[in-house]
Amino acid sequence: MEAWSKVSKMPAAAIRKMQSELLQKMLNEQLAERHPYYRTLFKENNINPADIKSIEDLKELPLTGKKDILPPEGEPRHPKKFVLEPPAEGEKKSKKKGLALFGKKDTGPEPEQYKFHTLYFTAGRTAKPIPIEYTHLDLANLREAGARAIDVWGLTRDDTMVNAFTYAPNAYFWQMYYSTIDLGSTALQTGGGKVLGLEKVLKAAHTMEAPVMAVAPGYAIYALQTLENFGFTAENLERIITGIDYTPMEAVDKIRRLMQAVQAKDNRVQRFYSISEAKSGWAECEPGYGYHTFPDHVLVEIVDPESGEVLGEGEKGEVVITHLEAAGTVLLRYRTDDIATGGLVTEPCPNCKRTVPRIMGDIERKAQYYELRGKEGVHLFNGNHLRKLMFARDDVLLWYAEINRTNSDDNLKVVVKGASGTDEAALLQSLNEELGSKFQVQSSVESISLDAVVNKIGLEKFITEKTIFDNRQS
Amino acid sequence: MENWEKLYKMPYKEIKDLQDRKLRAFMANQIYLYSPYYSNLLKELKIDPLKVKGIEDLRHLPFTYKWDIAPTDEEPQKAKDFVIRPDEEITEKYSHLAKMSMTGGKAQVEERVYDFKPVHMHFTTGRTAMPTPFLYSKRDLENLKEAGYRLLEVFEVTTDDIVVNCFPFAPHLAFWQTFFAGEKMNVAGFHSGGGKIVGTNNLMDAFEYLQPTVAVFIPGYCYYFLREAVKQGRDFSSVKKIFFGGERVPPGLKDKIKELFVQLGAEDVMVLATYGMTEAKVAWPECPSHDEYYGYHLFPDMEVFETVDPESGEPVGEAEEGEIVYTSLDWRGTAVLRYRTGDIAVGGLMYEPCPNCGRTVPRISSNIQRKSELKEFSMTKVKGTLVNLNNFFPLMMSHPDIEEWQVEMRKRNDDPFDMDEIYLYVATKGDVDREKLVADLKQKVLRDTEVSLTDIIFKPVPELVKQLGMETELKEKRILDNRPK
Repeated sequence: MEAWSKVSKMPAAAIRKMQSELLQKMLNEQLAERHPYYRTLFKENNINPADIKSIEDLKELPLTGKKDILPPEGEPRHPKKFVLEPPAEGEKKSKKKGLALFGKKDTGPEPEQYKFHTLYFTAGRTAKPIPIEYTHLDLANLREAGARAIDVWGLTRDDTMVNAFTYAPNAYFWQMYYSTIDLGSTALQTGGGKVLGLEKVLKAAHTMEAPVMAVAPGYAIYALQTLENFGFTAENLERIITGIDYTPMEAVDKIRRLMQAVQAKDNRVQRFYSISEAKSGWAECEPGYGYHTFPDHVLVEIVDPESGEVLGEGEKGEVVITHLEAAGTVLLRYRTDDIATGGLVTEPCPNCKRTVPRIMGDIERKAQYYELRGKEGVHLFNGNHLRKLMFARDDVLLWYAEINRTNSDDNLKVVVKGASGTDEAALLQSLNEELGSKFQVQSSVESISLDAVVNKIGLEKFITEKTIFDNRQS
Repeated sequence: MENWEKLYKMPYKEIKDLQDRKLRAFMANQIYLYSPYYSNLLKELKIDPLKVKGIEDLRHLPFTYKWDIAPTDEEPQKAKDFVIRPDEEITEKYSHLAKMSMTGGKAQVEERVYDFKPVHMHFTTGRTAMPTPFLYSKRDLENLKEAGYRLLEVFEVTTDDIVVNCFPFAPHLAFWQTFFAGEKMNVAGFHSGGGKIVGTNNLMDAFEYLQPTVAVFIPGYCYYFLREAVKQGRDFSSVKKIFFGGERVPPGLKDKIKELFVQLGAEDVMVLATYGMTEAKVAWPECPSHDEYYGYHLFPDMEVFETVDPESGEPVGEAEEGEIVYTSLDWRGTAVLRYRTGDIAVGGLMYEPCPNCGRTVPRISSNIQRKSELKEFSMTKVKGTLVNLNNFFPLMMSHPDIEEWQVEMRKRNDDPFDMDEIYLYVATKGDVDREKLVADLKQKVLRDTEVSLTDIIFKPVPELVKQLGMETELKEKRILDNRPK
């Protein structure tokens, strides 16, 4: 990767040019030569990667989906097809010699760059987790990405941090880990509530007097609302970095309100968006200004989720990634199943002036778009919107929703536990009205005990809580 | 920190000189100046740190016990006093760094102070006591990495190996030393976080995908994991070595593990053991051997080990049984002096070069009566007798008819003043003659622990696995003390 000080100030045209060059190199020198899956794909479809001259031509190439990588039954090593093969013996030598004749800089492959170093997995929320291989190059890039994210957030080594991202062998946790260790701040890698339990995480934050906490949005809200019950205060807390799960603006606002309510020192919230497959995560300088991507590492496209057509600047669509500098598992036009509501913009950030492309708006999960059958036909129900609605309400502590089918009609049942001091009857009534006005689906509401909801959503069992259960599939 | 390849060839006399030198400097320049707890203690006891000339003088210093460090409700920040930290108050008091600022400027002082800054921490795993944090500075992390490297070096792991780390993820030494070891030696690895994090089936998938040569486990979970893998007909033929941490590995379990690996396609897997403790901030490797026990190789440039009589506290001789007492050498972050580990080294400390590998660093005997996860109640009074619950581990883990087991202590009628009861839950390996097994177990438990079981309760394997928390707890719950307090 380039120097961040340079990349973050490059004009958009220069970024495009740099990306086009990196893309050509990736296609011709890596994918066509040493990538088992794409090499075959190109051959079978008569694709000549040399025809792709710039990032604008990329749309000519096919998209890759999760199902292409997932191992079929009995073939556990199928995902290896997405891993670059190391250079053969002698390959490097001959290249070097040839180039040296023309006095060119050696660009031959360094075998070390291809050596497997570590393995992370995708979250596996909807399918089985996919193994993503990292080499030394990838790890160096992950560390660089971590340092860049820290720069975007404006953290320094004086910011003591509690990393409460749930431990999993994934890029979220490890990027955060490497960035704190490289920064040299005092940090505790808790592994999240799943590993330590809420009380110990809060206790650690309290005894360390940590101003910064990295945590999933749902867990942050739960923690802030139950802080008092454990006898802790948040007097040293200044900011929360949310990640692992997507954080809509409604959640940002709610966390801010809660931080104020518990008399935190400050109430800054910053967001972090990471995709294990991308091998780096992106930070947002301030909520609403978009996730600052790293254009010398990964190329981001936004496509129509139905047709796969590339969309224009700022248009809502699915995030598609292409590695520009990676080894190990390498992906080309990989569909993330994530929808960016504000698309991609290439204008400099109006807040921090960094010029890198930004992914705007909220991230929605495609898997949470449901088709519900009703009396008047089929309605699209966006579960991401339900999540936003619930985040926006101050009277809800925890919740989940079930989609059930009775006879041939689908209905939505929302089960809640009110925040402390809430009149449950009033909550149920107003929630019922709100659901009725916002969603064209048959819905009902119920209240439940705290333990029951904590268990159901797996608050300390899964990487992040599961809130929508589609019971029709089972 | 010395070069390991040089250190393990040094004659013991040189090693001792090195330790004397390091201890003198550490006491005078770090502990006395910057460790609030020891600084006060030495002053109170009127001990001149400059009088500590070498490791023999350690005996003039008081012991440090677990409860001296562990946080309490009244003093939740107790552990901070064991952190070497030239904070403003101390800096000013001794004006050591302040003086430097006249020549080097403020920036240099800041950098010097930053050298002490904790950047990482682990916690003890106590179940009853509040967990105690042990802090690492950046410099300490280099020590931890080096310790990890040394462990891999003794285990003859190379950069061609692929390691799967199955230690449960937590801010604990086991997971992190394995991680840092890989970083330092540049060995590829998958740091799964264990079955609780990724799920047992996904972990098996990862084995088949990666085809690792080395696997790192907690013994109890490993035994369960391998049995499941055998049931599913998995292929783990790539595995050559397996090493354990977290608890003692009884010889019988080694055999069971090897046998399971054979069924998974891996012949002659080398089973290796480690000994470590949060307080020492590192773990040490046992010298590899298929059937002999040569002890754990220590790192004399990072610590001083003593063995003492657990009753009188008097040092015992070479190779004599005694309690392990640990002293930090040249660490920053949390550092302890003469820490009573509560672990008994049956074969004591050995200073002769290792008869197996020839390394000259001191060794502690393989037979350590670890209190491990049972630190709080390993020696427990049951029915008025002091029972060493550790003895259940080798007995049950090695028993050919036992697949899983758990011990539960209760009070009759759940009445705190009534009789103690001790129940043994067992899940058997296939069909066995239960009557015979009950008689055998009752007799062996009595022989090894001096306690008569109230009852032996048979359970199906899956039920007992669940009861043990095999997939849900950081470490399975082998011994439950459910007696009302």
